[in-house]
Amino acid sequence: MNSLHARIRLFSMRQPRLALVAQVLALTAFCLGCDRFARAVHLPLPGSVLALGVLLLLLATRVVPLADLRRGADWLLAEMLLFFIPAVMAVSQHTALLRSDGVRIVGVILLSTVLVMTVTAFLVDAVWRWRRHAR
Amino acid sequence: MHAELVSLAWLAATLGGYYALKPLYRRLPRWWTSPLLTVPVLLAVLAFAFGMNYANYMRDTHWLLVMLGPATVAFALPIWRYRGLIRRHWPALLAGILGGSVIAMGSAWLLATWFGLGGEVRLSLVPRSITTPLAMLVSADIGGVPELTALFVVITGVAGVALGEVLMRFLPLRSRLARGALFGMGAHGAGTAKAYDLGSEEGTVASLAMVLGGLFNVLAAPGVAWLVR
Repeated sequence: MNSLHARIRLFSMRQPRLALVAQVLALTAFCLGCDRFARAVHLPLPGSVLALGVLLLLLATRVVPLADLRRGADWLLAEMLLFFIPAVMAVSQHTALLRSDGVRIVGVILLSTVLVMTVTAFLVDAVWRWRRHAR
Repeated sequence: MHAELVSLAWLAATLGGYYALKPLYRRLPRWWTSPLLTVPVLLAVLAFAFGMNYANYMRDTHWLLVMLGPATVAFALPIWRYRGLIRRHWPALLAGILGGSVIAMGSAWLLATWFGLGGEVRLSLVPRSITTPLAMLVSADIGGVPELTALFVVITGVAGVALGEVLMRFLPLRSRLARGALFGMGAHGAGTAKAYDLGSEEGTVASLAMVLGGLFNVLAAPGVAWLVR
Protein backbone atom coordinates (compact mmCIF):
# COMPACT_ATOMS: atom_id res chain seq x y z
CA MET A 1 0.00 0.00 0.00
CA ASN A 2 2.71 2.44 0.99
CA SER A 3 4.83 1.71 -2.03
CA LEU A 4 1.77 2.31 -4.21
CA HIS A 5 1.30 5.77 -2.72
CA ALA A 6 4.99 6.47 -2.98
CA ARG A 7 4.78 5.57 -6.65
CA ILE A 8 1.72 7.83 -7.12
CA ARG A 9 3.59 10.69 -5.48
CA LEU A 10 6.67 10.17 -7.64
CA PHE A 11 4.45 10.09 -10.72
CA SER A 12 2.72 13.32 -9.76
CA MET A 13 6.10 15.02 -9.26
CA ARG A 14 7.47 13.84 -12.59
CA GLN A 15 4.27 14.29 -14.61
CA PRO A 16 2.30 17.06 -12.91
CA ARG A 17 -0.07 17.57 -15.86
CA LEU A 18 -0.87 13.90 -16.32
CA ALA A 19 -1.29 13.51 -12.57
CA LEU A 20 -3.73 16.44 -12.58
CA VAL A 21 -5.84 14.82 -15.30
CA ALA A 22 -5.72 11.43 -13.54
CA GLN A 23 -6.77 12.95 -10.21
CA VAL A 24 -9.64 14.92 -11.75
CA LEU A 25 -10.82 11.76 -13.53
CA ALA A 26 -10.54 9.76 -10.31
CA LEU A 27 -12.60 12.34 -8.39
CA THR A 28 -15.18 12.46 -11.20
CA ALA A 29 -15.50 8.67 -11.33
CA PHE A 30 -15.75 8.51 -7.53
CA CYS A 31 -18.47 11.18 -7.54
CA LEU A 32 -20.46 9.43 -10.29
CA GLY A 33 -20.16 6.11 -8.46
CA CYS A 34 -21.45 7.62 -5.21
CA ASP A 35 -24.24 9.31 -7.18
CA ARG A 36 -25.35 5.97 -8.63
CA PHE A 37 -25.28 4.42 -5.19
CA ALA A 38 -27.22 7.29 -3.57
CA ARG A 39 -29.91 7.04 -6.27
CA ALA A 40 -30.06 3.24 -6.07
CA VAL A 41 -30.71 3.15 -2.32
CA HIS A 42 -32.81 6.38 -2.37
CA LEU A 43 -30.57 8.28 0.03
CA PRO A 44 -32.03 11.68 0.91
CA LEU A 45 -28.52 13.03 0.20
CA PRO A 46 -27.03 14.18 -3.14
CA GLY A 47 -24.37 11.78 -4.43
CA SER A 48 -21.68 14.46 -4.52
CA VAL A 49 -22.22 15.25 -0.83
CA LEU A 50 -22.09 11.56 0.05
CA ALA A 51 -18.84 11.32 -1.94
CA LEU A 52 -17.47 14.31 0.00
CA GLY A 53 -18.25 12.59 3.29
CA VAL A 54 -16.70 9.29 2.24
CA LEU A 55 -13.59 11.06 0.92
CA LEU A 56 -13.24 12.95 4.20
CA LEU A 57 -13.41 9.62 6.02
CA LEU A 58 -10.77 8.13 3.71
CA LEU A 59 -8.51 11.13 4.34
CA ALA A 60 -9.03 10.93 8.10
CA THR A 61 -8.21 7.20 8.23
CA ARG A 62 -5.15 7.86 5.98
CA VAL A 63 -6.39 5.35 3.42
CA VAL A 64 -6.01 8.12 0.84
CA PRO A 65 -3.18 10.57 1.56
CA LEU A 66 -3.85 14.23 0.79
CA ALA A 67 -0.96 14.32 -1.69
CA ASP A 68 -2.70 11.79 -3.98
CA LEU A 69 -5.53 14.18 -4.82
CA ARG A 70 -4.18 17.65 -4.08
CA ARG A 71 -3.53 18.79 -7.62
CA GLY A 72 -6.84 17.57 -9.01
CA ALA A 73 -8.93 18.90 -6.15
CA ASP A 74 -7.26 22.31 -6.18
CA TRP A 75 -7.82 22.55 -9.94
CA LEU A 76 -11.51 21.67 -9.63
CA LEU A 77 -11.99 24.31 -6.93
CA ALA A 78 -10.01 26.95 -8.85
CA GLU A 79 -11.93 26.43 -12.12
CA MET A 80 -15.36 26.23 -10.51
CA LEU A 81 -16.41 29.51 -12.19
CA LEU A 82 -16.12 27.81 -15.58
CA PHE A 83 -18.47 25.04 -14.51
CA PHE A 84 -21.39 27.29 -13.78
CA ILE A 85 -21.22 29.59 -16.76
CA PRO A 86 -23.84 27.37 -18.52
CA ALA A 87 -26.11 27.86 -15.49
CA VAL A 88 -25.77 31.63 -15.83
CA MET A 89 -26.67 31.33 -19.53
CA ALA A 90 -30.05 29.99 -18.39
CA VAL A 91 -30.93 33.65 -17.78
CA SER A 92 -31.97 33.73 -21.43
CA GLN A 93 -34.85 31.40 -20.51
CA HIS A 94 -36.15 33.76 -17.83
CA THR A 95 -35.88 37.25 -19.35
CA ALA A 96 -39.60 38.01 -18.93
CA LEU A 97 -39.49 37.10 -15.24
CA LEU A 98 -36.34 39.14 -14.65
CA ARG A 99 -37.79 42.15 -16.46
CA SER A 100 -40.89 42.13 -14.26
CA ASP A 101 -39.35 41.07 -10.91
CA GLY A 102 -35.64 41.86 -11.36
CA VAL A 103 -35.54 44.98 -9.18
CA ARG A 104 -37.37 43.28 -6.31
CA ILE A 105 -35.14 40.19 -6.58
CA VAL A 106 -31.99 42.29 -6.39
CA GLY A 107 -33.51 44.17 -3.44
CA VAL A 108 -34.11 40.91 -1.56
CA ILE A 109 -30.57 39.72 -2.31
CA LEU A 110 -28.90 42.95 -1.15
CA LEU A 111 -30.89 43.26 2.12
CA SER A 112 -30.59 39.58 2.93
CA THR A 113 -26.84 39.61 2.30
CA VAL A 114 -26.34 42.58 4.64
CA LEU A 115 -28.31 40.72 7.34
CA VAL A 116 -26.38 37.45 6.88
CA MET A 117 -23.01 39.19 7.01
CA THR A 118 -23.84 41.30 10.05
CA VAL A 119 -25.36 38.47 12.10
CA THR A 120 -22.63 35.95 11.18
CA ALA A 121 -19.80 38.33 12.00
CA PHE A 122 -21.34 39.38 15.33
CA LEU A 123 -22.05 35.80 16.40
CA VAL A 124 -18.53 34.62 15.55
CA ASP A 125 -16.98 37.63 17.27
CA ALA A 126 -19.14 37.16 20.38
CA VAL A 127 -18.28 33.46 20.76
CA TRP A 128 -14.60 34.17 20.08
CA ARG A 129 -14.51 36.87 22.79
CA TRP A 130 -16.46 34.73 25.25
CA ARG A 131 -14.06 31.81 24.77
CA ARG A 132 -11.02 34.04 25.19
CA HIS A 133 -12.37 35.38 28.49
CA ALA A 134 -13.37 31.91 29.68
CA ARG A 135 -9.80 30.71 29.42
CA MET B 1 -25.15 23.68 -40.17
CA HIS B 2 -25.63 20.53 -38.12
CA ALA B 3 -27.04 20.98 -34.65
CA GLU B 4 -24.21 18.83 -33.25
CA LEU B 5 -21.59 21.12 -34.73
CA VAL B 6 -23.38 24.21 -33.44
CA SER B 7 -23.49 22.94 -29.87
CA LEU B 8 -19.83 21.88 -30.09
CA ALA B 9 -19.05 25.42 -31.27
CA TRP B 10 -20.88 26.83 -28.23
CA LEU B 11 -18.82 24.60 -25.94
CA ALA B 12 -15.66 25.80 -27.69
CA ALA B 13 -16.80 29.43 -27.35
CA THR B 14 -17.52 28.94 -23.63
CA LEU B 15 -14.13 27.32 -22.96
CA GLY B 16 -12.24 29.70 -25.24
CA GLY B 17 -13.96 32.75 -23.76
CA TYR B 18 -13.24 31.57 -20.23
CA TYR B 19 -9.53 30.96 -20.77
CA ALA B 20 -9.14 34.11 -22.83
CA LEU B 21 -10.89 36.37 -20.30
CA LYS B 22 -9.50 34.83 -17.08
CA PRO B 23 -6.12 36.63 -17.32
CA LEU B 24 -8.00 39.94 -17.47
CA TYR B 25 -9.50 39.24 -14.05
CA ARG B 26 -6.13 38.20 -12.67
CA ARG B 27 -4.58 41.46 -13.81
CA LEU B 28 -7.51 43.71 -12.89
CA PRO B 29 -9.59 42.02 -10.20
CA ARG B 30 -12.88 43.99 -10.18
CA TRP B 31 -16.43 42.70 -9.97
CA TRP B 32 -17.08 43.66 -13.60
CA THR B 33 -14.01 41.77 -14.89
CA SER B 34 -15.06 38.45 -13.34
CA PRO B 35 -15.30 35.65 -15.94
CA LEU B 36 -18.74 34.97 -14.53
CA LEU B 37 -19.86 38.27 -16.01
CA THR B 38 -17.55 38.73 -19.00
CA VAL B 39 -17.99 35.24 -20.49
CA PRO B 40 -21.82 35.31 -20.46
CA VAL B 41 -21.69 38.83 -21.98
CA LEU B 42 -19.38 37.54 -24.72
CA LEU B 43 -21.70 34.57 -25.31
CA ALA B 44 -24.71 36.91 -25.38
CA VAL B 45 -23.01 39.02 -28.05
CA LEU B 46 -22.34 35.85 -30.08
CA ALA B 47 -25.93 34.74 -29.54
CA PHE B 48 -27.16 38.12 -30.73
CA ALA B 49 -24.98 37.90 -33.85
CA PHE B 50 -25.58 34.26 -34.78
CA GLY B 51 -28.75 33.37 -32.87
CA MET B 52 -28.87 30.85 -30.05
CA ASN B 53 -31.15 28.01 -29.18
CA TYR B 54 -30.81 27.37 -25.45
CA ALA B 55 -31.40 23.61 -25.69
CA ASN B 56 -28.73 23.46 -28.34
CA TYR B 57 -26.34 25.51 -26.21
CA MET B 58 -26.85 23.18 -23.25
CA ARG B 59 -26.39 19.98 -25.25
CA ASP B 60 -22.61 19.95 -24.95
CA THR B 61 -22.00 22.60 -22.27
CA HIS B 62 -24.06 20.65 -19.72
CA TRP B 63 -20.90 18.57 -19.25
CA LEU B 64 -19.43 21.61 -17.53
CA LEU B 65 -22.36 21.57 -15.09
CA VAL B 66 -21.70 17.86 -14.46
CA MET B 67 -18.22 18.85 -13.27
CA LEU B 68 -19.81 20.73 -10.35
CA GLY B 69 -20.25 17.28 -8.75
CA PRO B 70 -16.53 16.43 -8.52
CA ALA B 71 -15.88 20.07 -7.55
CA THR B 72 -18.21 19.52 -4.58
CA VAL B 73 -16.27 16.37 -3.64
CA ALA B 74 -13.06 18.40 -3.80
CA PHE B 75 -14.35 20.51 -0.88
CA ALA B 76 -13.24 17.58 1.31
CA LEU B 77 -9.64 18.73 0.92
CA PRO B 78 -9.95 22.22 2.46
CA ILE B 79 -11.97 20.72 5.33
CA TRP B 80 -9.23 18.15 5.96
CA ARG B 81 -6.40 20.62 5.43
CA TYR B 82 -7.79 23.12 7.95
CA ARG B 83 -8.95 20.60 10.55
CA GLY B 84 -6.62 22.25 13.09
CA LEU B 85 -8.49 25.54 12.76
CA ILE B 86 -11.85 23.76 13.02
CA ARG B 87 -10.73 22.00 16.19
CA ARG B 88 -9.48 25.26 17.72
CA HIS B 89 -12.42 27.47 16.84
CA TRP B 90 -15.35 25.10 16.42
CA PRO B 91 -17.74 26.93 18.80
CA ALA B 92 -17.34 30.23 16.96
CA LEU B 93 -17.55 28.56 13.54
CA LEU B 94 -20.61 26.58 14.57
CA ALA B 95 -22.37 29.69 15.88
CA GLY B 96 -21.61 31.59 12.68
CA ILE B 97 -22.68 28.75 10.40
CA LEU B 98 -25.93 27.96 12.22
CA GLY B 99 -26.89 31.58 12.80
CA GLY B 100 -25.81 32.69 9.35
CA SER B 101 -27.68 29.89 7.60
CA VAL B 102 -30.91 30.51 9.50
CA ILE B 103 -30.72 34.25 8.76
CA ALA B 104 -29.82 33.60 5.12
CA MET B 105 -32.73 31.30 4.40
CA GLY B 106 -35.23 33.00 6.72
CA SER B 107 -34.53 36.55 5.58
CA ALA B 108 -34.59 35.60 1.90
CA TRP B 109 -37.97 33.94 2.40
CA LEU B 110 -39.49 36.76 4.48
CA LEU B 111 -38.10 39.62 2.37
CA ALA B 112 -39.31 37.90 -0.81
CA THR B 113 -42.76 37.57 0.74
CA TRP B 114 -42.81 41.26 1.76
CA PHE B 115 -41.64 42.31 -1.70
CA GLY B 116 -44.53 40.37 -3.21
CA LEU B 117 -42.44 37.58 -4.76
CA GLY B 118 -43.84 34.09 -4.59
CA GLY B 119 -43.75 30.64 -6.12
CA GLU B 120 -40.58 29.38 -7.73
CA VAL B 121 -38.78 32.73 -7.49
CA ARG B 122 -39.17 32.88 -3.72
CA LEU B 123 -38.09 29.25 -3.34
CA SER B 124 -35.10 29.82 -5.63
CA LEU B 125 -34.01 32.77 -3.47
CA VAL B 126 -33.86 30.73 -0.24
CA PRO B 127 -30.48 28.95 -0.82
CA ARG B 128 -28.84 31.90 -2.59
CA SER B 129 -26.23 32.57 0.10
CA ILE B 130 -24.25 29.34 -0.30
CA THR B 131 -21.78 28.16 -2.91
CA THR B 132 -23.32 27.45 -6.36
CA PRO B 133 -23.08 23.63 -6.65
CA LEU B 134 -24.64 23.14 -3.22
CA ALA B 135 -27.18 25.94 -3.71
CA MET B 136 -28.42 24.26 -6.90
CA LEU B 137 -28.85 20.97 -5.02
CA VAL B 138 -30.82 22.66 -2.23
CA SER B 139 -32.93 24.59 -4.75
CA ALA B 140 -33.92 21.39 -6.56
CA ASP B 141 -34.68 19.79 -3.21
CA ILE B 142 -37.06 22.48 -1.94
CA GLY B 143 -38.87 23.01 -5.25
CA GLY B 144 -37.02 26.01 -6.69
CA VAL B 145 -35.45 26.39 -10.13
CA PRO B 146 -31.72 25.49 -9.86
CA GLU B 147 -30.75 27.75 -12.81
CA LEU B 148 -32.47 30.75 -11.24
CA THR B 149 -30.74 29.98 -7.95
CA ALA B 150 -27.39 29.85 -9.75
CA LEU B 151 -28.06 33.33 -11.11
CA PHE B 152 -29.08 34.64 -7.67
CA VAL B 153 -25.94 33.11 -6.16
CA VAL B 154 -23.82 34.93 -8.72
CA ILE B 155 -25.54 38.25 -7.95
CA THR B 156 -25.01 37.56 -4.24
CA GLY B 157 -21.30 36.97 -4.79
CA VAL B 158 -20.76 40.10 -6.84
CA ALA B 159 -22.82 42.33 -4.53
CA GLY B 160 -21.58 40.60 -1.38
CA VAL B 161 -17.94 41.49 -1.94
CA ALA B 162 -18.82 45.18 -2.25
CA LEU B 163 -21.27 45.10 0.71
CA GLY B 164 -18.77 43.20 2.87
CA GLU B 165 -16.11 45.85 2.35
CA VAL B 166 -18.54 48.58 3.44
CA LEU B 167 -19.83 46.56 6.43
CA MET B 168 -16.32 45.81 7.64
CA ARG B 169 -15.72 49.53 8.00
CA PHE B 170 -18.81 50.03 10.20
CA LEU B 171 -19.03 46.85 12.29
CA PRO B 172 -16.84 46.83 15.42
CA LEU B 173 -15.27 43.41 14.79
CA ARG B 174 -12.35 42.28 16.92
CA SER B 175 -11.30 38.97 15.35
CA ARG B 176 -9.97 37.88 11.98
CA LEU B 177 -12.30 34.94 12.46
CA ALA B 178 -15.38 37.17 12.28
CA ARG B 179 -14.15 39.01 9.18
CA GLY B 180 -13.48 35.71 7.40
CA ALA B 181 -16.84 34.23 8.39
CA LEU B 182 -18.60 37.41 7.20
CA PHE B 183 -17.25 36.94 3.69
CA GLY B 184 -17.56 33.14 3.59
CA MET B 185 -21.17 33.01 4.77
CA GLY B 186 -22.33 36.16 3.01
CA ALA B 187 -20.61 35.92 -0.36
CA HIS B 188 -19.38 32.28 -0.77
CA GLY B 189 -16.57 31.85 -3.36
CA ALA B 190 -16.32 35.49 -4.39
CA GLY B 191 -16.19 36.52 -0.73
CA THR B 192 -13.56 33.88 0.03
CA ALA B 193 -11.29 35.30 -2.66
CA LYS B 194 -11.78 38.76 -1.13
CA ALA B 195 -11.06 37.41 2.36
CA TYR B 196 -7.73 35.99 1.13
CA ASP B 197 -6.84 39.58 0.15
CA LEU B 198 -7.27 40.57 3.82
CA GLY B 199 -5.02 37.78 5.09
CA SER B 200 -4.52 34.04 4.98
CA GLU B 201 -6.39 33.41 8.25
CA GLU B 202 -9.41 35.41 7.03
CA GLY B 203 -9.30 33.48 3.75
CA THR B 204 -9.08 30.10 5.44
CA VAL B 205 -11.97 30.88 7.78
CA ALA B 206 -14.01 32.19 4.84
CA SER B 207 -13.48 29.02 2.80
CA LEU B 208 -14.38 26.87 5.79
CA ALA B 209 -17.51 28.93 6.50
CA MET B 210 -18.48 28.64 2.85
CA VAL B 211 -18.02 24.86 2.65
CA LEU B 212 -19.41 23.94 6.07
CA GLY B 213 -22.28 26.43 5.79
CA GLY B 214 -23.16 25.02 2.38
CA LEU B 215 -23.08 21.46 3.69
CA PHE B 216 -25.27 22.41 6.63
CA ASN B 217 -27.78 23.87 4.15
CA VAL B 218 -27.80 20.67 2.09
CA LEU B 219 -28.37 18.53 5.17
CA ALA B 220 -31.10 20.90 6.38
CA ALA B 221 -32.81 21.01 2.97
CA PRO B 222 -35.43 18.29 3.67
CA GLY B 223 -36.48 20.16 6.82
CA VAL B 224 -36.56 23.47 4.96
CA ALA B 225 -38.65 21.88 2.19
CA TRP B 226 -41.15 20.76 4.81
CA LEU B 227 -41.30 24.28 6.30
CA VAL B 228 -41.81 26.21 3.07
CA ARG B 229 -44.39 23.96 1.52
